[in-house]
Amino acid sequence: MFRKGKWVSLSLTMVLSFMLVLSGCNSGSNSNESNTADSKTDTKTDTKTEATNATPDKDAKSVIEFMGWGGDSEKAVFEKLIASYMKKYPNKKVKYTVVPPAEYYQKLDTLIAAKKTPDVFYAGGAHFNKLVSSGVLLNLESQLSSSELVDTNNVWKQGLDRYRYDGSKVGSGDLYGLPKDVGPWALAYNKDLFDKAGLPYPSAKAGEYTWDNMIADAKKLTVTNERGKIDTFGVAAYSTESAVWANGGDWVDPTSGKITIDTPEFAEAMQFVADLSLVHKVSPSPDDEKAQNGYARFVAGKVAMFPMGPWDQPGFWDLPFQWDIAAWPASPNTGKTATWLGSLGFVVSKNTEYPEDSFALASYLSLDKDSQKENYVLGQAVPNLIDMAKGEFMEVDKAPHTRQVFIDIIEDYGRPPIEVSSKNTKWLDTFWQDASQVWNGKKTAAEFVKEEQPKLQKLYDENNK
Amino acid sequence: MKNKTPGYRRKEIIWSLIFIAPPILGFLIFSLTPLITSFGLSFMSWDMFTPAKFTGTENFRYMLEDEKFYKSLYNTIFLLLGVPLGMIISLVLAILMNRSLKGISIFRTIYYIPVISPIIAVSLLWQWLLNYDYGIINEFIWNILGIQGPNWLGDPNWVKPSFIIMGLWGGVGGTMVLYLAGLQGIPSSYYEAAQVDGASRWHQFKHITLPLLSPIHFYVVVMGVIGTFQSFSQMYILAADGGPEYSGATIVYYIFQEAFKYFNMGYASAVAWVLGILIFILTLFQFRLSKRWVYQE
Repeated sequence: MFRKGKWVSLSLTMVLSFMLVLSGCNSGSNSNESNTADSKTDTKTDTKTEATNATPDKDAKSVIEFMGWGGDSEKAVFEKLIASYMKKYPNKKVKYTVVPPAEYYQKLDTLIAAKKTPDVFYAGGAHFNKLVSSGVLLNLESQLSSSELVDTNNVWKQGLDRYRYDGSKVGSGDLYGLPKDVGPWALAYNKDLFDKAGLPYPSAKAGEYTWDNMIADAKKLTVTNERGKIDTFGVAAYSTESAVWANGGDWVDPTSGKITIDTPEFAEAMQFVADLSLVHKVSPSPDDEKAQNGYARFVAGKVAMFPMGPWDQPGFWDLPFQWDIAAWPASPNTGKTATWLGSLGFVVSKNTEYPEDSFALASYLSLDKDSQKENYVLGQAVPNLIDMAKGEFMEVDKAPHTRQVFIDIIEDYGRPPIEVSSKNTKWLDTFWQDASQVWNGKKTAAEFVKEEQPKLQKLYDENNK
Repeated sequence: MKNKTPGYRRKEIIWSLIFIAPPILGFLIFSLTPLITSFGLSFMSWDMFTPAKFTGTENFRYMLEDEKFYKSLYNTIFLLLGVPLGMIISLVLAILMNRSLKGISIFRTIYYIPVISPIIAVSLLWQWLLNYDYGIINEFIWNILGIQGPNWLGDPNWVKPSFIIMGLWGGVGGTMVLYLAGLQGIPSSYYEAAQVDGASRWHQFKHITLPLLSPIHFYVVVMGVIGTFQSFSQMYILAADGGPEYSGATIVYYIFQEAFKYFNMGYASAVAWVLGILIFILTLFQFRLSKRWVYQE
């Protein structure tokens, strides 16, 4: 009896699933054809219609859904910005949704798959590339050129170029987003600890302060307590990207798609970062990091040098010690330095009902004078507007005082984060997971990169070509 | 006879259909449809944005060469160690709790509390307890033994034992209650008879208690294996990005990452089906095996 019943239900399931596979394929291939055809004609007609009525109709009513991520402080900033936008344009309503950062892309992609894409939303890095390649985003090129809302000469080229993508290379092609911010990753230092150790502050000028200087200083800044444990570290969370780029290495060559981690420059830089804790004992080990991360230690005054982005400012303003920012230490081999310049963008859905109004909202949030001012006063970002960043932003009477470092990183030695050249970051995540073997000294960097290269190459080829 | 009251019967049928509709509809919409969809998807490549493409058995072939698939499968199988450990501890606890002491129900409740606590909260709690530097467990080890405890969640060798310990803490209460019920179902006359024959306590335990509890052993093993194969939440919270050297990732965590981080929905479905089939085979095997050792009254 039992057996018979099981067979019946089993075969029923089989039949049902078979039916689904058939119907699924069918609809899949159909929509495939029509969609690709659509997207080709769409982009053409889109640009035409937009060009004819690029200036938004101020009286027409619209409701725009805007989705972003962030904690309480970012939410508060954007609620304020949106309120002032709605005051400026009383007919334009904005519905703002905030999602916790860790769940953001899951939620976004589910909404896109369900065809409920918000009109305006955040996108950045590898995800931006994927969204453009999948035809989810609206091409903003024509609106940009015909709109009086945006003066492209007054926006960081490095910020705008991040949102140009031609399907294979970031930085060329049409514009698909406006920068929410540019995030120069700078080196913050605790002035009080430097004073106590009798050391001069690290230079704000790129190239003057080298790895060797930093190690020498960090050794003097590191303090061991009576239990034999290190109490204060010279440096924490040193950016591996910065070391590798400064030394002339890189992860991938985006034009050929070759993973380039197996070079001597790369291995040497990676070993330098690992040795900060393994050999020189001036940086928290992976074990120390697990117990308390670099941020918590820096905030507690137990780390002398630590990387920061502009968004860290509000948190650091309350610290009971003096701090400032310096240029990233340069590689003694090349005399050069580098760090990353992060960015997140406002993008518009291709299926939005209100393309003009969505663009207007995105450009308001991205580039409006008042909104930009609000943003930097609250310590969220460096202004996207060049004249404001070089003008009033420099005169703010709050730490960091050498704000020029932020500007230098944007204009001079900041580079896009590694993942900006890919659509899928599985290869990069794997690199960071496996890199722990180097950080804890199980392998030398040179051994590691040699073994890791073919593995990453395979993952990169599978997912990014 | 039957046709004499057709109106009444039809009404009855309609009502009965209405009453059974919610669970059946729920099953059809939320269980069967996703099940069938994922089966279809496992032969396709789909990133959620662009239409799915039929790729045949490509996903399964890829799985055979996928290092992370094997790693997460190994991790999951390692966690199965928690099942027998949990059974031993629960059984001991159940025997201790199977007395008519004053206030025994309070103790029973205490052991049962972790079972009803939300797993996310429990994971966050353990994140503190297991902290390398200031965690209570390492502090305890330092005070008792005078040595530095392991880096529980940061050392690839200790991540899985940490999960097992956590699982024991959260799981033994439930199993203990099952054993307790089983113990109370054994007639005391059996023990009395054995005593008359001069059986020692150990013999009584070995020849009466253990065999008579075998249906419960069986239930606990089957559910434990299935539960372990499906474990996810602890890993999601305690082993960010798979933990050190991916040694904290379970197979469901791997499916989750493939689906919602890299958006390989087709591949994730394929892994999910392999997992499903694996669990099915293991359970079937256990049922077969049970005929040899499970005592049926």
